[in-house]
Amino acid sequence: MIIKEDRGEQHSSAQVLPRVEMDEEPERAKRWEGGYERTWEVLKEDESGSLKATVEEILFQSKRRRCVEYGHPPTPHTLRCCKPSAFPPPRVIESHGQVRLGMMRHLFVVVDCSRSMEDQDLKPNRLTSTLKVGVITTKNKRAEKLTDLAGNPKKHISALKKAVDSACVGEPSLYNALSLAVQTLKHMPGHTSREVLIILSSLTTCDPANIYDLVKTLKCLKVRVSVIGLSAEVRVCTVLTRETGGSYHVILDESHFKELLMLHVKPPPASSSSECSLIRMGFPQHAVASAMERDARPSFSMSHLDSGAGPGLSLGGYFCPQCHAKYSELPVECKVCGLTLVSAPHLARSFHHLFPLQPFVESPVEELQGSRYLHAHARALCGYSSVTVLVWFQVL
Amino acid sequence: MKLNIEGLLVYFPYDYIYPEQYSYMLELKRTLDAKGHGVLEMPSGTGKTISLLSLIVAYQRAFPLDVTKLIYCSRTVPEIEKVVEELRKLMEFYAKETGEVNNFLALALSSRKNLCIHPEVSALRFGKEVDGKCHSLTASYIRAQRHSNPDQPVCRFYEEFDSVGRQVPLPAGIYNLDDLKDFGRRKGWCPYYLARYSILHANIVVYSYHYLLDPKIADLVSKELAKKSVVVFDEAHNIDNVCIDSMSVNITRRTLDRCQNNVDTLQHTIQRIKDTDAAKLREEYRRLVEGLKEANVARETDVYLANPVLPDEILQEAVPGSIRTAEHFLGFLRRFLEYLKSRLRVQHVVQESAPQFLKDIFEKVCIDRKPLRFCAERLQSLLRTLEIADIADFSAVTLISNFATLVSTYSLGFTIIIEPFDDRTPTIANPVLHFSCMDPSIAIKPVFQRFQSVVITSGTLSPLDIYPKILDFRPVTMASFTMTLARTCLCPLIVGRGNDQVALSSKFETREDFAVIRNYGNLLLEMSAIVPDGIVAFFTSYVYMENIVASWYEQGILENIQRNKLIFIETPDAAETSMALEKYQEACENGRGAILLSVARGKVSEGIDFVHHFGRAVIMFGVPYVYTQSRILKARLEYLRDQFQIRENDFLTFDAMRHAAQCVGRAIRGKTDYGLMIFADKRYARADKRGKLPRWIQEHINDGSLNLTVDETVQLSKHFLRQMAQPFRQEDQLGLSLLTLEQLQSEEMLKRITQIAHQA
Repeated sequence: MIIKEDRGEQHSSAQVLPRVEMDEEPERAKRWEGGYERTWEVLKEDESGSLKATVEEILFQSKRRRCVEYGHPPTPHTLRCCKPSAFPPPRVIESHGQVRLGMMRHLFVVVDCSRSMEDQDLKPNRLTSTLKVGVITTKNKRAEKLTDLAGNPKKHISALKKAVDSACVGEPSLYNALSLAVQTLKHMPGHTSREVLIILSSLTTCDPANIYDLVKTLKCLKVRVSVIGLSAEVRVCTVLTRETGGSYHVILDESHFKELLMLHVKPPPASSSSECSLIRMGFPQHAVASAMERDARPSFSMSHLDSGAGPGLSLGGYFCPQCHAKYSELPVECKVCGLTLVSAPHLARSFHHLFPLQPFVESPVEELQGSRYLHAHARALCGYSSVTVLVWFQVL
Repeated sequence: MKLNIEGLLVYFPYDYIYPEQYSYMLELKRTLDAKGHGVLEMPSGTGKTISLLSLIVAYQRAFPLDVTKLIYCSRTVPEIEKVVEELRKLMEFYAKETGEVNNFLALALSSRKNLCIHPEVSALRFGKEVDGKCHSLTASYIRAQRHSNPDQPVCRFYEEFDSVGRQVPLPAGIYNLDDLKDFGRRKGWCPYYLARYSILHANIVVYSYHYLLDPKIADLVSKELAKKSVVVFDEAHNIDNVCIDSMSVNITRRTLDRCQNNVDTLQHTIQRIKDTDAAKLREEYRRLVEGLKEANVARETDVYLANPVLPDEILQEAVPGSIRTAEHFLGFLRRFLEYLKSRLRVQHVVQESAPQFLKDIFEKVCIDRKPLRFCAERLQSLLRTLEIADIADFSAVTLISNFATLVSTYSLGFTIIIEPFDDRTPTIANPVLHFSCMDPSIAIKPVFQRFQSVVITSGTLSPLDIYPKILDFRPVTMASFTMTLARTCLCPLIVGRGNDQVALSSKFETREDFAVIRNYGNLLLEMSAIVPDGIVAFFTSYVYMENIVASWYEQGILENIQRNKLIFIETPDAAETSMALEKYQEACENGRGAILLSVARGKVSEGIDFVHHFGRAVIMFGVPYVYTQSRILKARLEYLRDQFQIRENDFLTFDAMRHAAQCVGRAIRGKTDYGLMIFADKRYARADKRGKLPRWIQEHINDGSLNLTVDETVQLSKHFLRQMAQPFRQEDQLGLSLLTLEQLQSEEMLKRITQIAHQA
């Protein structure tokens, strides 16, 4: 999948932000500051008054959820005590089946950094749990772009790490955040998806204008807005997501939050109205002009022309196979010839969304007699992965 | 879908049905079969109206001779319109299923203000003005004068209706208020009179309580409705108060002054007529000698609904000689007026019964009981004879004469209280004579007597057995239905303590307590941070609300709340309140979030629904007891104790709890809706309070949600709100709280349905 995310443009720190009142070691936040957890309600005695069954069930479910989340095939021994029908399916599973997926996505993640983010019902607080993603922050009734659309996850993560320390104050503004996102997204080509994912903690929004007008604009521009609410269902988000075709979820707890976030990693089905289906792509090599070479001199990359930040001159970079414009990172659309430039791993990563693995069939360990079968199983798995690898290369 | 309710084929216009609707129809059918009265409680938002309509319509079709008419009484105009729309849906379904055009006539009736299409009259703003103006255009002698004087303005719509409208009955169909107006415009007929005329032969009439309960209006409108009618009082939890209000009279100095003017005007008119047309007065005199024979005949033949202002005894006799001539009657009125004036000149509070009052009036001004009784009837006759155009001007004298009749007719059930000043402003003299009705059964008695089945229904009627007691009737069915839910979408929490363990209560002793007010503020503050969109908070009275809000302002709590949500306040002024409501809804709609501070028993608590995001939480600060120091209330309590063996405390608690239930019920208006119900007073945790909540709320209060602290409440609410925000689809409800026809017919389901109705 191609998430175009982007490069750390830390906002100007001219204003002095008060530090978040947070423990030095957030993991050990004071217990009494947290809410009441009714841990005992989870436990239920069985007929004989024993808690064993419940405990085992909890353990099993946590294992199982891990498996589902990371796409690991559940190995037979994790399924030792499973009675398949006895467990509810993971809370969020929606499969698209055989539909066209919008593989090229332009996604803005809006993270609410308002006062309510300091609520401690997610450990250590809502902000630190959330900031594993995030591009636009909306706080103090203003929206600030933390990072631009681009594809390098590393930059993006580092920007977020800095943001963890920033203070959460004031009220968020959905309107400002969305209009900021729209300004960039509306220039994106029609065959890609335009998406905004909002992680909203606050229950209010403080808007300078009527948000329903903006929703109409979003609808016209086919921007898909999804919201993950951290506290409760807010009407305006319901309308917003319904109108723009996004999804709206509210988290139950940390793990559910993660599930919901992972849900957004999957590319959404492409709308039938999106433009072309075949796209020319270039696969530029990363060439580093070695310092030994005589004519090696550092050059500007195209992307610096407008952003103007970061180290301007560099030796290496990606060169467009068509026009030899230089870019420092991928994926990007060539500013000169308009060719979409990606690298092989990008395509490869997107591949498993197009052809997802079949869900593994659970087979109780009792049915498998002897280690021979287990080996066979393992071999089958290896075989499968090597086949996929092959396919990837064919595509490239 | 087509249902089989104990052998009756009922068409139900939806594909799915709630189990409680089915159960409700069963009970209703039994009531109709027994030709008796019923009390049915079913939660709001579970489709009471459509269940009622589909069953009764089916019944009417199956047994056209047993039930000829349905009279559906509701409270407000929007509610009336909603009922008619449901009915339209039902009729369309009938037409589609049976393929035949049915000849059902159903219509809504409202006041002239809502129905008038006369360009000048309908432009007037107040109902009274419209009535008065209409009367001055349509009164019979005005129209008679037009024959001699063509310049006399009349209402052309009424003229048109009068000349042709009565011959042609209104074509069958469903008529809402707007439909009536459209029809009227097309034909050039007056919709109001058309509707009033048409209710006599309509199959279904939808109108306000007052048309049946208020003796003055009922006499005009509902007198001739057929005996074999089914009367339904929807949202009837306040019916006793409506009855009492319709029978009570308050007289102030201003009333007396206006009455004096009225009498003077009458005097002049009589003088004038005497000079020009003495024969007319003689004719009236002759009629009065003959007595009210006509009315008597009518009542004996059972054509009319009895009027409690016109008791049976009067009809037997002729109008007494002392008030037969117009001048004598006016003299009589003057004396009566002077007497009342002297009574209002008191310096201390007087409370007396009707017989005491009669004795006093006889001693002081020699007015006998008998002429007093005829006062109302005599005045009507005089006004007719004198051809007074604008009845609205004579409201004062009508009021006084009604009072005279009532006070001399009923020795029991009324009390007279004369207060020289308002309790809140003891320095300003503002004497008021309250002639207050204490027995709601007086006003509603004719309804129970006349009509075959009367059904009283609402979302909050608990405890059920008290209504038959105070309304004095014997129901054949009494049942309370619960809401079957696929998810627990209501979350009643009783907050008894603040975070500092201070007991929260609005009781009189701790009312001014700083700690309580602060904790109430904290509760609202915390809730405003975690509840999305709208919160509605109810206080026990305006005074209490003002005090608390002022105190919150001083403590800075208000400022903190405003960071989370905007605050709107209900005031006694209707225009201000509707403005606040509008802005409140706007704020909820665009995500800003808002809090509406309002008052139990106010306009907001009764008529306004807060669906979905408009009310995600309702907070009830304190127990909404009625103002117990009021003398009228004390008298009523005494009466209830003596006559009906209802203890004061029981009645007060019942009254408080029904209002509390009304308030919190505002938030849940259907099964897909959800909302928190927070009772912030430790007294709610007591069994005698809790037990008086409706069953559908009670069953969700478990021991874990009693006497919580503010913190615990916040935790529980957060959890609840997150749970409720998870996607909820129709499939989840199917089979549990929503049934298809097949599911309904299964053996197991039928068994479960019988458990829903809880017989009281």
